[in-house]
Amino acid sequence: MQALAELKEQIRQALPDLDVVIGWQQGYDALHTSPLFIRSEEDIDKLVVNEFCVVNPATYLREMRGGKKVGLVLKGCDSRSVIQLLQEKLLKEEDLTIFGFGCNGVLNHTKLQARFGDIGFITSLENDGTNVTVEAGDKKETVPFTELCADKCLTCSYPNTLQCSHFAGEESAKQADSATDKALEDFEKLTMEERFTFWQDQMRRCIRCYACRNACPMCVCKDHCLANSREPKWLSEDVDVQNNFMFQLIHVMHLTGRCVECGECERACPMDIPIMLLRRKMAGIVRDVFAYNAGTNAEETPPLMCFKVEEPTIEERH
Amino acid sequence: MSGSTGLLTEGQDLRIVGFLCNWCSYGGADTAGVARFEQPTDLRVIRVPCSGRIDPLFIARALLSGADGVLVSGCHPRDCHYAEGNFYARRRFEMLKQFLSVTGIDPERFHYTWVSASEGQRWQDVVTSFTERIRKLGPATKMAGGTGYDEECLKEIAAAVSLGDQCPCHKEKA
Amino acid sequence: MACKFISHEDTNQWLEALAKDHVVFIPVDDGGSVTFRPYGEGRKPVLDRMPVRSPKEAVFPQNETLLTYKYDKDPEDPERTSVRIKETLPKERAVVFGARPCGTRGMTVFDSVFVNDRIRDPYYATRRENTLYVTLACHEVESTCFCHEVGSGPADTAGSDVLLTPVQGGYTAEAVTERGEKMLEASFFADGGDKCAEAEAVKKATREMLGEAHDFSNAPEALLAVFDDDEFWDDQAAACLSCGACTYLCPTCYCFNITDESTGTTGKRLRSWDTCMSFQYTLEGSGHNPRTTKGKRLKNRVNHKFAYFPDTYDQHLACCGCGRCIKSCPASIDIRSIVKAAQARSAQKESK
Repeated sequence: MQALAELKEQIRQALPDLDVVIGWQQGYDALHTSPLFIRSEEDIDKLVVNEFCVVNPATYLREMRGGKKVGLVLKGCDSRSVIQLLQEKLLKEEDLTIFGFGCNGVLNHTKLQARFGDIGFITSLENDGTNVTVEAGDKKETVPFTELCADKCLTCSYPNTLQCSHFAGEESAKQADSATDKALEDFEKLTMEERFTFWQDQMRRCIRCYACRNACPMCVCKDHCLANSREPKWLSEDVDVQNNFMFQLIHVMHLTGRCVECGECERACPMDIPIMLLRRKMAGIVRDVFAYNAGTNAEETPPLMCFKVEEPTIEERH
Repeated sequence: MSGSTGLLTEGQDLRIVGFLCNWCSYGGADTAGVARFEQPTDLRVIRVPCSGRIDPLFIARALLSGADGVLVSGCHPRDCHYAEGNFYARRRFEMLKQFLSVTGIDPERFHYTWVSASEGQRWQDVVTSFTERIRKLGPATKMAGGTGYDEECLKEIAAAVSLGDQCPCHKEKA
Repeated sequence: MACKFISHEDTNQWLEALAKDHVVFIPVDDGGSVTFRPYGEGRKPVLDRMPVRSPKEAVFPQNETLLTYKYDKDPEDPERTSVRIKETLPKERAVVFGARPCGTRGMTVFDSVFVNDRIRDPYYATRRENTLYVTLACHEVESTCFCHEVGSGPADTAGSDVLLTPVQGGYTAEAVTERGEKMLEASFFADGGDKCAEAEAVKKATREMLGEAHDFSNAPEALLAVFDDDEFWDDQAAACLSCGACTYLCPTCYCFNITDESTGTTGKRLRSWDTCMSFQYTLEGSGHNPRTTKGKRLKNRVNHKFAYFPDTYDQHLACCGCGRCIKSCPASIDIRSIVKAAQARSAQKESK
């Protein structure tokens, strides 16, 4: 792990000028990492970088506003959220120090769980980049990485941290396995009625814990979300399909042209509801209509914050 | 706004929500009314200051809460009373329009257009053709259900109708 | 306790029979995650995984309608309105089948809060009286399991009416309560015979898999010793996203909110789960919020389970060790390590 050693060294050098550096540390078992907040020298050694570093550290930036000097260890996908936040002028560039590295993809716990019974039953896991060998109970199986990795990694075109102040190790040469999102493509083969029924069924198990919202790096309203507003009252306390789905639409609409597709909402969902289908669809529309890819260029203006008098890509509606 | 053609009486009542801007489209609808142009009556109009005021979530919420269709109309591009409200609105509406299909809500149930205050005739065309379209699509299916007992309730709703007070589901689903 | 046996095949028939006059909640595969849903045709119980949602919702559903109301305008005087109110006491009889001992044990926490010598919550009490828990003892453990550390175990009977233990070809069944005994009178149950010894071996083996238990007995004192240590709590909560996954999935979290949900002139008074991890939980009408940081909110969750509750009600921890809060936390926050850290911190303070 050349990159990890370099990262630690870079953080060590930069730490005196920073209030905190956010990265990952080993979690409660071998399959989990949890966010690490480095405030002192001795914390640096806790840093880990592996295929379980799923949390997007940029999510914690909303709590760090107000002149704090923050360092972030970010994967390529995570760094897009920082660029988007900079673009929206919600952060100041001079307050941030970004430590980058080349990412080869992260694993998806839901997929592991689906394959091996339950995530808690897995006793060991080895990943060589192309194949993952998993032991669970008396089962031992080798599975291609692409079958167990996060969906976003399959279409990832930003494996290396963007706009970073420091870069550790070698750049990742990881290529997207496909240009289009297969899950969304398959979903769109369904008829309108089937899609409606699908969501009706999925939303039934939503518990409205708002993990999707709180894990979203772009949800900057923090404790003042529309969903909790009583006046006007957008959502009832009724945790039923209609209100649950309305919340999803609120999230999607508020992320139009802002969503960087980091997938944190879906990953955070304790009920494993495939809500990224909605976000990916919207991000795709934004790309089609405005040729805009959120979080890749801090100089651009988000498409819903500007307009053209003549919109060549929008069909005129009579 | 009333008339005497078959259009107004046949079939069941549809719930169509119209969001109209104060300066152009609301005026256009008024012009149509003053001129006594015949129009279907399924549309329930909500007047807003500008099409730029219409949060796409208004439309989403209406559709999820059981509206069969949502019609949005503002000033023609370049003619916005507030100069640029409808330019922003156009981008938002287009996003929603294209997005709806993934939710399983037929995008045809949502239409946005531009009608000026003098275009009474055009308003009549817009509202008539949109109502026709919704009538063809029929009433929208409502998302229903919850978890646990709620689900049991749904299952037994049909049986419960005959059972009356004896229904094991105490929850009254609207 | 008499030990009986039921084969896998008969179990399904038994469920079918129960479903005739009960809402039978079984753990089902619900789009990849396991939730409790009413038994019905074509629904097979999933018993080899711990349900993501906890069994509390059969007795304490996420939304409970307390009453419905309707406003009537006086036709003579439109300024005057009268209101009609209808009480909606639950009527369902239910069986929860296949919950784990930890989840069912959670109900004992509810029992002390909602039905005691001062209070009898009619909605809770009615549902509790009308609900039977048929619990399934564990034969596997996960990395997040810690029932043995909170005074429970993989074959705990607390809260259950019947305890099933998986053995070759089916389950052994033991009645825990009188109601449970009645259930076992059904024709599907045969005498346990030598299956009983097998069941005891399964229970013992599972307990051994859990290993040595950490001692949480001084947790109340340790947590209170670090009560004012904001640095400690902010540190522990740094990764918290303030979502409600931990509390909503927790089998012992019982906080609720009451709201009136109206449409037009009709409406209902709703009791819904609330979560102390949310900013709104302590937000006062004035706009003031006494719990300003997520550190303070996390402190409440941990302290409630490991200090306040045992102090208020017979020393029992209000944590059943199921590990749902750990497993479902998007930031992998581990309540075990928080309490352990508090124990270490208070010991450190004492020695100074």
